[in-house]
Amino acid sequence: MKLNKIVLLSLVLLLLPGCGGGGGGGSHSSSSSSSSSSSGSSVGALCSAGLGSGSPGSGNVIPVTVGDFCGIDYLNEPTVSVTVCTSQGSSNCLTIGGILLDTGSYGLRIFNQALSALITTPSNGTAECVQYADGSADWGWVQNVYVTLGSEQTSTPVPIQVIDSAFGARSPAIYCPGTLDVSPSGSGFNGILGVGPLVQDCGLTCVNSVPNPAIYYTCNGLTCTGTTVPLANQVSNPVASLPTDNNGLIVQLPGVDVGGAVSLTGSLVLGIGTQSNNSPSGATAYTLDPTYGEFTTTFSGVAYVAGSGHDGADGSFTDSGSNGLFFPSPTSGTYSGELSNYCSRHSDWFCPATTTSFSATIIGYSGTPVGGTVVPFQIGNFTNLINSSNMVFIDIGGNSPGFDWGLPFYFGRNVYIGFENTTSSLGTGPYFAY
Amino acid sequence: MKTRIYSISLVLVLSVAMFAAAQRVQAALGGSSDSIESDRKALSATTRGVTAGNGYTVQEIYSAANTVREYVSSSGVVFGIAWNGLVYPDITRLLGSYTGEYQKARQQAMRQRGSRHLRVKSSGVVVEQWGHMRDLRGRAYAPALIPPGVSVDEIK
Repeated sequence: MKLNKIVLLSLVLLLLPGCGGGGGGGSHSSSSSSSSSSSGSSVGALCSAGLGSGSPGSGNVIPVTVGDFCGIDYLNEPTVSVTVCTSQGSSNCLTIGGILLDTGSYGLRIFNQALSALITTPSNGTAECVQYADGSADWGWVQNVYVTLGSEQTSTPVPIQVIDSAFGARSPAIYCPGTLDVSPSGSGFNGILGVGPLVQDCGLTCVNSVPNPAIYYTCNGLTCTGTTVPLANQVSNPVASLPTDNNGLIVQLPGVDVGGAVSLTGSLVLGIGTQSNNSPSGATAYTLDPTYGEFTTTFSGVAYVAGSGHDGADGSFTDSGSNGLFFPSPTSGTYSGELSNYCSRHSDWFCPATTTSFSATIIGYSGTPVGGTVVPFQIGNFTNLINSSNMVFIDIGGNSPGFDWGLPFYFGRNVYIGFENTTSSLGTGPYFAY
Repeated sequence: MKTRIYSISLVLVLSVAMFAAAQRVQAALGGSSDSIESDRKALSATTRGVTAGNGYTVQEIYSAANTVREYVSSSGVVFGIAWNGLVYPDITRLLGSYTGEYQKARQQAMRQRGSRHLRVKSSGVVVEQWGHMRDLRGRAYAPALIPPGVSVDEIK
């Protein structure tokens, strides 16, 4: 069953190198070690419609495409191409497009279906269950690979997760709750590039203990048991493992007209203040709490306070992988009742009668800048907006506890993400700046 | 830090002693406060403390994975549960008699790609989850059991 699936998908992979340009490729050369000039092969996408992949970029710049990568009505979806290699250099590599650019998570995760031409499913090893707030989860094994972003390659192999919902014949003893990501076409992407302000996907807790349910497992054949994992072996933000330009990144996206766009392109720039093309200019930094990577937002009289998770209160964060602005409908303060109208078919989204202007105040975890910064934003009628061929919107938002500054916050801005345990002219990470 | 661990252990010893004699048949939501002990065991957690709110008490159980807070009315019924941490707890163990209807509603819930939020509503229970990696959050409550004068927003 599983073998058939892999063979079939590999076949599809070879027959359909790209779903909308950017494919190219030819046969891969995973067994060749003598090839000096081979650049490996390229996987466009494993879905049948949509935008297709952008180029992997060069130097420290990677193109970002925002749109609906797989043609499944995925709004505000930012994707990049990354290259994965089983040895140092440019042989034995696969370039994979349609990787979700996610500043709200940590670590590179790629579907087995997209990697099967390069990597064989192991029978033993470390596996991982990663849960997401939308109720989805990724199950699969941990693989050490060289990751190339733009032209920059990690100097050592780094742990990534290969998403495979069937790995280890997931027994009931292995608890990976949630709607498992099964295929690129079902999820709308070939993988996730988690490049948020912290580094590891679990951190010290998984070094010292096994959470219940576990995140990391040791698998032996069909049996997997929870395990502790040193920081260096945890799936982690690969930008932090680059030899240079490893202290952070900049997400640069153009503005979007009210009413939206079909798609747009921008850039992911590696490093902060390390090259002439990533020097901060006119940006204000907001420190983030070291445990959760959160800052404080005050909106309509309610404060969503950084690092307050210990007592159950909600903080706020930026997340390019969130496709809207998500926060509670205000029931007090300046905007009380102004977002009380939800959409009839999409009841989690706001549907005000007309596009409405709001503002919130953000301030760093350390309390600077003093007084905070006022951030204006707009919320439009979600139902009316999506009733078009557009897939990219700056003014969509929905109801959720906490304050999640999703992708609309990134439009028309250069957003800097400074990693923990690093410094730049903007300060010491974790921080974000714009 | 060390002293916190000691005090947690002390609370644990006391709570185990306290709950040892209690009958524990029902699970959490909608169950009696005694059911919190079975939740504690199911989650391999320790009891951290009890705080009083607006006509209710909050019992917190804590593990390396997450913190679960159970909201108990003055009549001793668990009307809401909230959690936050690295991973979501096994929600089906916390929902008691609402587990079946939750699972059914969950299966019918459409996946919202790109969202960092999930809300599942059935006739008797609402389950919400939100947050982001390393800070996943959620809550479940039975609207019919929420005491008069208590807002849903207090369950967090």
